[in-house]
Amino acid sequence: MNFEWTEEEALFRLRLQDFLARNLPADWEAVAGHGPGSAELTEFSRLFCGRLADEGLLTPHWAKEIGGQGLDPWHQLILAEEMWAAGEPRGAQYMNVNWIGPTLIKYGTGEQQARYLPPIAAGDAIWCQGFSEPGSGSDLASLRTRATADGDVYRVSGQKIWTSYAGLAETCFLLCRTGDDRKRGISILLVPMDTPGITVRQIPSIIGEGDIHEVFFDDVVVPATARLGDEGQAWEIIAFSLTNERLGIPRYHLARTALDRAVGILKDQGEFVSETVRVEAANAAALCEAARLASYAIVSRRARGEAIGAESSSARFGTVMAERRVAEFIVEYLSESLGDAHPYLKMHHQRGIVAGIAAGAAEIQLNIIASDVLKLPREPR
Amino acid sequence: MDLSLNDDQIAILDTIDTLAKPYASPPMQDISFALTSEELDRELFDGGFLDIAFDPDLGAVSAALMIERLARLPYTVEAAASALIRPLIGADLPRPICLVEEGKGRRPVRFLRPGATMLVVGKAQVSAFTADADHIRIEDTLYGYPMATLVVDPAAAGAVPLDVSADELRTRWRVAIAAEGAGLLAAALASTAAHVTDRQQFGRPIATFQAVRHRLAEAQVRANGAYWLAMKAARTLDPGDAALAALHVQQSAGPAVYDFHQFLGAMGVTLEHPLHLWTYRLKALIGDLGGRGEQGIAAGAAIWG
Ligand SMILES: Cc1cc2nc3c(=O)[nH]c(=O)nc-3n(C[C@H](O)[C@H](O)[C@H](O)COP(=O)(O)OP(=O)(O)OC[C@H]3O[C@@H](n4cnc5c(N)ncnc54)[C@H](O)[C@@H]3O)c2cc1C
Repeated sequence: MNFEWTEEEALFRLRLQDFLARNLPADWEAVAGHGPGSAELTEFSRLFCGRLADEGLLTPHWAKEIGGQGLDPWHQLILAEEMWAAGEPRGAQYMNVNWIGPTLIKYGTGEQQARYLPPIAAGDAIWCQGFSEPGSGSDLASLRTRATADGDVYRVSGQKIWTSYAGLAETCFLLCRTGDDRKRGISILLVPMDTPGITVRQIPSIIGEGDIHEVFFDDVVVPATARLGDEGQAWEIIAFSLTNERLGIPRYHLARTALDRAVGILKDQGEFVSETVRVEAANAAALCEAARLASYAIVSRRARGEAIGAESSSARFGTVMAERRVAEFIVEYLSESLGDAHPYLKMHHQRGIVAGIAAGAAEIQLNIIASDVLKLPREPR
Repeated sequence: MDLSLNDDQIAILDTIDTLAKPYASPPMQDISFALTSEELDRELFDGGFLDIAFDPDLGAVSAALMIERLARLPYTVEAAASALIRPLIGADLPRPICLVEEGKGRRPVRFLRPGATMLVVGKAQVSAFTADADHIRIEDTLYGYPMATLVVDPAAAGAVPLDVSADELRTRWRVAIAAEGAGLLAAALASTAAHVTDRQQFGRPIATFQAVRHRLAEAQVRANGAYWLAMKAARTLDPGDAALAALHVQQSAGPAVYDFHQFLGAMGVTLEHPLHLWTYRLKALIGDLGGRGEQGIAAGAAIWG
């Protein structure tokens, strides 16, 4: 058991920091402040990800055969930590390299791979994830958007909601119903967003512009060749995708970075003196570091090729606790307007509430921990 | 980075598990607050387990792993200070090793008894003496440890300064609190999970009620965090890491103890159920080294200056 980065891992981190220093423009923090779904950041992400790709830093964790360098999950984690700490200049494209690409590689046809992987690997592709619906959030398997087979096409009708990046995305990773079985009746279609019959509406939100959307599908014609995997295979495929996604966002690191920034501001103003404030900062740091190590323990197992189960829910809930505490610390003790303070503090403040909702709500994580880590009997249905 | 156990650590934990097997459940009819075993203590000592951190290859992580594992037993042994602090002060001082902060001499001290080494930890200096019967008053303990209180001033008891850094000692003390606390949290949680799985009300196990499930799941998240923070602190022996680890355990212990007993209902009030053997040790650890406030202040100073 050792907690030190290897020399090679430390160098990889330095290389990323050097890359960021060279490639983030002077007004980068203002760009980042628009939020990951904004037009500004999306546009910048194409430039930035292109440069990452040029230097072999966009998909280094992908296997060699498919254009990566076969670096282990620790490198994927370091990459994610450095990018998110810098305000995530990859914008929406972090999703592509974390899970959309790997999922296409594992389940896609040759034609799908030839069409979609090169732009992803070149850092010039925006995707959105069409899972949630008005009636289907935590209970995702109840989704109703229907894809009806009609010769060699599907006709898709229904509605998605909370879809991040949908306004600017070229392609949607869409879950839809092709059969009646709750889980085995769901299939995945890769749908170009400019297909006639798709309407996107932005939803104003507390996390800034351009993030979440409603997407309407009105008799949208999609070729059957756009189906990823078999009919009814969606549930199996997204289980694979989500294990990759859960490692994707090192929110504990964001929270810790925000906390350190807030403490830095307090110190500069001579206000990091009161014992109460100092103890509260330490409490928040303890939660961040606990969540960090819980996440590292999972990466460590993945790096050794072991299967990961419910413990990722435990790490995620720990991260939710940390994010909330840090967000509270910031509003409670920072004595200047959040607008004047560092733009990332404002972002953290806005995101503190999202932590427990997006990518699987907190109570669902607690249920999973109870059943699958503590092995308690399940709730009656 | 690699957080998996190495071969030495696996071997040590396997041996500890084998050795601890006879102590895995409390004796029938036991109705004590603190369950001790001289035999277990002797086996650990004679087997050299309390000396593993003297070996630089095994180091404090192996000791912390052992302490965490031993804390899960319903029996309590003085392993934490012996394994983590003796490498600083030398192997010659008689066990048990007992710790008190200078100026807090009226607090009961864990494992204190005649013949024990009493370490008095001041801001800048650590002094030691061997306790005898006149120095102490044995407490009818309310905690899960045997305890006694000093009734003399350390100087009057012949305390002599040791050539060790008080800061380093405090750091190891914090690692000890964290590792032991993590094991206690895990064991108390497991005991509670077993109870709520068996116990039926309204025609179903009470473990199927979300109010219960979610609070236990949250305790799991905290216990898991405590474990990893303790191990990291043992590895780095960094003052900030150690303070965060002790802080997290002390912060988590309070609510967990009340939830665990709560979910046992009246059974959790009895001495017949072993839960208190873990939770009452946690209650004692909450107050070590000034409690979470002091841990927070120490962590803040170490991390941000
Ligand atoms: C910023 C943001 C971005 C998002 N981006 C996307 C995206 O790109 N694509 C996409 O498909 N979705 C996206 N989502 C949607 C997200 O996946 C859902 O919000 C999430 O799955 C929860 O669903 P819901 O919002 O319908 O909440 P609900 O399922 O209605 O849950 C509301 C509350 O009830 C609780 N609850 C529900 N069921 C249970 C239960 N069985 N036991 C106990 N409590 C329960 C939940 O834990 C939660 O606290 C995004 C959400 C946010 C906030």
